[in-house]
Amino acid sequence: MFLRKYGNIIVGVFFMLLSAALITLALQLPKSAVMDIGPDFMPLVIGCVTLGIAALLTFLNVKNFKLHLEELESAEPEECDYRRVAYSFVVTVVYVLILQPVGFIISTIVYLPLQMMILAPVGKRNPVILVVISVIFTLVVFALFRYGFKIVLPAGIFTINL
Amino acid sequence: MAALANLGNAFVAICTPGSLLTMAFGVFVGIIFGSIPGLSASMAVALFLPLTFGMTPSMGMNTLVAVYIGGISGGLISAILLNMPGTASSIATCFDGHPMAQRGEAIKALGLGIVFSFLGSVFSFIILTFGAPLLADIALKFTPAENFGICFFALTMVAILSSGNMLKGLLASMLGLMFCLVGMAPIDGTPRFTFGSTQLMAGFDTLPTLIGIFAISEILITAEEISTGKVNIIQIKKAKGFGFSWQEFVQQLPNFFRSSLIGTGIGILPGIGGSTSGMLAYVTAKNMSKHPEEFGKGCPDGVVATESANNATIGGAMIPLLVLGIPGDGVTAMMLGGFLIHGLSAGPLLFVKNADVVYGIFAACMVCSLMMLIIEFGGIRIFVQLLKIPKHILMPLILVLCCVGAYATNNRIFDVQSIILFGVVGYLFHKFRIPTTPFVLSFLIGEMMETYLRRGLMQYKSFGAFFERPIFDAFFFIAVVILVWSSLKEFKAFKKKRAEAGH
Repeated sequence: MFLRKYGNIIVGVFFMLLSAALITLALQLPKSAVMDIGPDFMPLVIGCVTLGIAALLTFLNVKNFKLHLEELESAEPEECDYRRVAYSFVVTVVYVLILQPVGFIISTIVYLPLQMMILAPVGKRNPVILVVISVIFTLVVFALFRYGFKIVLPAGIFTINL
Repeated sequence: MAALANLGNAFVAICTPGSLLTMAFGVFVGIIFGSIPGLSASMAVALFLPLTFGMTPSMGMNTLVAVYIGGISGGLISAILLNMPGTASSIATCFDGHPMAQRGEAIKALGLGIVFSFLGSVFSFIILTFGAPLLADIALKFTPAENFGICFFALTMVAILSSGNMLKGLLASMLGLMFCLVGMAPIDGTPRFTFGSTQLMAGFDTLPTLIGIFAISEILITAEEISTGKVNIIQIKKAKGFGFSWQEFVQQLPNFFRSSLIGTGIGILPGIGGSTSGMLAYVTAKNMSKHPEEFGKGCPDGVVATESANNATIGGAMIPLLVLGIPGDGVTAMMLGGFLIHGLSAGPLLFVKNADVVYGIFAACMVCSLMMLIIEFGGIRIFVQLLKIPKHILMPLILVLCCVGAYATNNRIFDVQSIILFGVVGYLFHKFRIPTTPFVLSFLIGEMMETYLRRGLMQYKSFGAFFERPIFDAFFFIAVVILVWSSLKEFKAFKKKRAEAGH
């Protein structure tokens, strides 16, 4: 509910801060020696426009906060499974980070069943099937790219000269 | 008449079993590349390029055309079924195609998309065959000033796309523009916002950004909703043929002609591309429609508009390529490479010296479109089986394909990492109820807009001089009118809401 309640104000404030940072950084960019409109022009324009819109959004939402609350009362509550999101996110980030050093085959074979287990609804977690699907899929994709498309995926520690 | 005679000869020439088989294979591979998020039409053309070395020039070019057509059209499959655009051109297909699929009308959505893809490409090829040299002359009149006008015009479409939620839509669009700024500035190459990272120097690539925003965030959203029971397997209503009636088809015709014209027009202008044309056609269809509120909730008009336009762009993009030797986007640039490899130089002389190749391409375009229609029609009922795979198995597999696709674009792992960043952006957008489309549209246009603006200023010295160009004026003023009109409409709606609440 917190997000629904204060979401717009958070967005407004975030964009105000972001545009302030953008303007500050843009001012430090070198001016162009040959023309009036240099590399700093667009960032400044975008920064200023964003600042204006974000300020308006924040202002309107603060001003009409009561109206917004009344609206929310009639809306049905939302249920979200943040645990699954967090786990999925962590697993994916780790996968992307180890993809290069460990290599495509090993990291994918480990990642896929884990991610499927996280997403699977309770009662549909059959590790054997998930692992089999993952292994076959990984090998097919690797072979397809390596031999079909001639694109070498990261080999990592498992260097093979096939 | 000479054009017709040449075209007739070309049709006879390409109708050999070998050449038809090669083209069918090309279309098939193109469709597969187009339909998998992460693999794109340009990647398919790049892979096929070496394969054409051993063929005759005419055959080689026809094969590349086949892959191109299949690739652009294939994007609609994953857009409709998975809500992930297979290629940048089919972004707008998701908006209405996926809601239709969720309602059980997957076959109808696919059917409409496929038929109008076909008609859109045929429309543009007819224009290409009979009007190429004339249209190329017009395209040459477009200087950076006019191109800036078009980009600015396209950008104001954001206001229409996000109506009802305009302030947040505009902020999303600004964020898209900000991400464009990262990397080397156009014209002078000054590094901007790279924070000392060499990886950021090249900026964010389009493909990883799209994958992240659409595919990765979709996976996170699935994770959020899977236990609430919202992610059920989508039911598929049975339907005959393409799933729509003759009457529905006739109703779509005005929409089709308008969208195909937009698509061909945008295609002719070098450097704007299919992704923009699809979205422009979508927004125009929404604006002209009698029931604009249905757009985004599964309105067939949206699918028709996008798919007619993005396929019509192919024929449009071939015009500057063949007549002037100017490639309009990544795919046509690679086809230009194909010409060079076969010792042909695209440009005005091509029509004189190698008329057989040129008209061979025209004929191949039409034949390949027909093949695309047949192959995809045959596949509709196979594609929809995709909806039967449980999401907890399908989503991780797609994520791996996305990572592989992002990696294969530039062979750098940084692109794979950046899809996570954009996935998070997409997920946060979903949580804060910010529309993603404005972000994507701005991201696609942002860099072009800055380049054309600064190039134009170099050419004309001042922004005021832009207004001496009538085409620029037209686009600029329509854009301003759209902005003012949408803001007023938004303001009125807001006031009405407040009055109803009694404040």
